[in-house]
Amino acid sequence: MNKRAIRVFAAAALFAPLLAFGQKNSCVECHSQLDDELKAPAAALAADIHAEFGLSCKDCHGGDPSQDDVDLAKDRTFRGSPKRQDIPQFCGACHADAAAMRAFNPALRTDQLSQYWTSRHGLLLKAGDTKAAVCTDCHGVHGIQSAKYPKSLTFPWNIPQTCGRCHADKAFMEPYRLPTGQLEDYKASVHARALLEKKDLSAPACNDCHGNHGAFPPSVSSVASVCRQCHPSTGELFMKSPHKKAFDEMGAGECEACHGNHKILVPSTAMIGTDDGATCAQCHDKGSRGFEAAAEFRRQLDGFESGFRAAEGLLAQAKQKGVEVSDVEFKLQDVNTLLVSAKNLTHGLDGAEIAKAVSEGEKALVGVRELGEKALDEARFRRRGLAVTTALLALFGVALALKIRHMTRGRVDKSRRVE
Amino acid sequence: MKRRDFVDIFLGGSLLATIAAFLYPVVRYVLPSRSAGGGVQNSVIAAKAGELPPNTAKVFKFGSAPGVLVNTAEGKLVALSGTCTHLTCTVRFDAETETLFCPCHNGRFDLGGNVLSGPPPRPLETYAVEVSGPDIIVSRKS
Repeated sequence: MNKRAIRVFAAAALFAPLLAFGQKNSCVECHSQLDDELKAPAAALAADIHAEFGLSCKDCHGGDPSQDDVDLAKDRTFRGSPKRQDIPQFCGACHADAAAMRAFNPALRTDQLSQYWTSRHGLLLKAGDTKAAVCTDCHGVHGIQSAKYPKSLTFPWNIPQTCGRCHADKAFMEPYRLPTGQLEDYKASVHARALLEKKDLSAPACNDCHGNHGAFPPSVSSVASVCRQCHPSTGELFMKSPHKKAFDEMGAGECEACHGNHKILVPSTAMIGTDDGATCAQCHDKGSRGFEAAAEFRRQLDGFESGFRAAEGLLAQAKQKGVEVSDVEFKLQDVNTLLVSAKNLTHGLDGAEIAKAVSEGEKALVGVRELGEKALDEARFRRRGLAVTTALLALFGVALALKIRHMTRGRVDKSRRVE
Repeated sequence: MKRRDFVDIFLGGSLLATIAAFLYPVVRYVLPSRSAGGGVQNSVIAAKAGELPPNTAKVFKFGSAPGVLVNTAEGKLVALSGTCTHLTCTVRFDAETETLFCPCHNGRFDLGGNVLSGPPPRPLETYAVEVSGPDIIVSRKS
């Protein structure tokens, strides 16, 4: 297989320039004149990444495109369209062959096929379920674009929709007894907001947590490891926390137990504590140690955060009144670092650590608040100065008017005396 | 005092005040400002030449935000924005790995500002560094 594949690619690479100069391709010539489904491959081929590299129909389907006669074109090498269950092997003939792929892109991975056979899709296909996703379901058939192009089905911000074509289809998923709300849940998540609205390509789509060719739902015990790929410090804190052992014993899904899976919302201090909606209260009963600790964490963080917001408001007011506050803003950013760190420390459940970060932050906040008040005092002083100046100017106007009247009257008296 | 004298004195005082109002901006322009200035600042003296030993860094104020000036182990000066692109915490220099990391969620950047790991969505802005006499001047790239 390797030698054959190498020969195919070597020939394709050699003759690629000829293709560009209009080498005969009877497949395209005929299919262009056909209707709908049979015309589509010829129409889509121009934008296909394989065509970009000089490959043509025969490189996948075999046959002799130099022949006008259909019977001659479909010679003994003609393979036609593969059956659905054969597609992974069909694509893998080249894509799993490192030597063959090297001629086109030496950096391209060639383990997709072996990964696929370990995926839930691959296992189902192997078991005879031809509804299971194969290469073409995610990559398309003809007109396959590089995953680096934004119109590709596998470009990051298209992936949720690509997976959702099957996974959000109730009728399609019904035999698998799988939920179909993942796409809608994901779209409401903080990850989707970053990826789909802010176009942040580093934000995770389905494949970042489930894998792509080896797609499989992460097991309960590996959720934290998956999340840690992007949230390392949070994962480390969790691993050291008493929650790790407790969650393992309960079989709870680590990060997922509090943050959910597909619908992960922007975390806030409202998740901590004992209010309705606080995640701590879902497990910790009133009066328990955990319940009391959650209430205390919330009290400390709320106090710190409201102080921070008040200081931020003071500076915004002063800035709006035209006072230069960049020095204080610079100091406030350090307090922001302490506030965000203190919130993150809740994953470790170390009360002393949290209290230390909060106390350090509140101490720094006192200085910032004093400077903010000073800035506002300066704004008030300027406003008073403006009022005094305006009054003085008015008085100046009156004095000037009096002086002019006095001078005019003196001149009139003098002229009368002359008469 | 007669009303006429009061008006004369007041007008004289006002004339002096007007002259002072004209001169004040001139004096403020000639004398250096007490504050480092806010808003958009395009360059700043980040440190004194020789202040940073190799493989160390310092956080400096650039406008109202922090910047980080790094003197690499090879003695090359590099300056970047000090604000993490995730949740705006101030990043720090890790001499062992010659990277910048965020103490809040451990986002990590190389000295070109590129995200190496963690949640930051964008790279850090990089600045131009110039040694001018005794000063290390950091400027925004246009």
